[in-house]
Amino acid sequence: MTTTQEPLVVVREQGTRHIPGQPDMWVFVFFESLVFTAYFCVYLYSRTQHERAFLHGQSQLLAWLGVLDTVVLLTSSWTMARCVQHARAGRYAPARRDAFLTAGLGFVFLVLKIVEWVRLIHLGHTFTSSEFFQYYFFLTAIHCVHLLIGFVVLGVLVWKLSASQEIVETCATYWHTVDFFWVLIFALLYVVR
Amino acid sequence: MMRPAILDDPKRELWLAWYATVGFYSLYTVVFFIITRTQPPGKPWYDPSQVVGWFAGRHDGLLIGFALIFVLGGLSATSLALITYSIRRMSVSRAFAYSYLILYAVAAVPGFLFICTAMTVGAMRPERSPALLQWLYDLAFLSFSGTMGVFLIGSLIWMTAILLDKNHVFPKWFGYLNLCNALTEVVVAPSWIFHEGALAWNGAIAWWINVVVFGLYTGAFIYLLRSMILREDFGTGPLPGLDSKVWRTIVPVEATV
Repeated sequence: MTTTQEPLVVVREQGTRHIPGQPDMWVFVFFESLVFTAYFCVYLYSRTQHERAFLHGQSQLLAWLGVLDTVVLLTSSWTMARCVQHARAGRYAPARRDAFLTAGLGFVFLVLKIVEWVRLIHLGHTFTSSEFFQYYFFLTAIHCVHLLIGFVVLGVLVWKLSASQEIVETCATYWHTVDFFWVLIFALLYVVR
Repeated sequence: MMRPAILDDPKRELWLAWYATVGFYSLYTVVFFIITRTQPPGKPWYDPSQVVGWFAGRHDGLLIGFALIFVLGGLSATSLALITYSIRRMSVSRAFAYSYLILYAVAAVPGFLFICTAMTVGAMRPERSPALLQWLYDLAFLSFSGTMGVFLIGSLIWMTAILLDKNHVFPKWFGYLNLCNALTEVVVAPSWIFHEGALAWNGAIAWWINVVVFGLYTGAFIYLLRSMILREDFGTGPLPGLDSKVWRTIVPVEATV
């Protein structure tokens, strides 16, 4: 992610410090993180009430598919970070290529998620079949809605690539946030026992 | 006798609309949460006899509260008008303002008026069969909670206008807050399916989290509409700044290392 490539606080030539992108986008990150934290608290509370049923539901998921989802999305964060670095250096052609790579990896994630949903539905696990799958489909679907918005955000990034570094970083912040939410969802749904 | 200063204030109509907006949302909160006690919503799993008891327990409150809404609910138009005015003040196409106005005016019917009508019918006709009262109960809460999605596009229109605007009518963070609000309106949709749990119409996700987000969002836009009126210069260019730490002027793009 960008934060692993560059320090969160970037020091500019003039010596002024700033956070990546529009500070306004960080309001979104903070607020949406609070909303997702609330969703996770509700999930974890329900899990404590029906632990055995949730464990059974989790056992129906393919852990390797969840890992693959995570690797794909984290790779998309890496390509996004490269895009930001290229744009900062004024290398717009490779930055554009990395933006398209990011979108491609996002699309692969989406396809993997649909494949997983279809598999589960064929096994009889639907939105209404059990409490675990109610949360599973809710959390993965609301994350996918964020991802779909991410494609629009990537479109804005490509459009404004050479015009505004601030917008490039703002779009990257959004994409990394969506990835961050997925890592938490993956941990809660696939890993926590 | 001295003439009151407000009468000569060119912003008097805007202030009138703003105070009417504050009045409407205050009325809305008092009526739904205190007088009628229709919020938090009733239990979605109630059987017909329990629904009859629910209506009986709130009979007077439903009649008084929704009578107030039928008389004064039109004040909501001032809120819509002020928001439409704010979008007209932006540097974006007027199509944004008109789309927002039409969409919210239409969405208020299922999202706001249906519950008032259905609950009043239930309170006024207690002798009807319990099955019919249960039908009204379901109609009221499902239309109120389940149709939040119709407001979604309105939030996205406002968000897009704010993000494209060059007149600095609203800070960009409020544009993004519109997106947060729109995304929580999406999660109310499953209340059509579930009778209990976090996604039912009274559930932790579909109601409690949603209402907290909506409350913060509403508070933010009422405050920002006030800021807009204070800064209004009746021109067409960027609005002048406000001496407030909350307000962030747009930082020009700078080259980074």
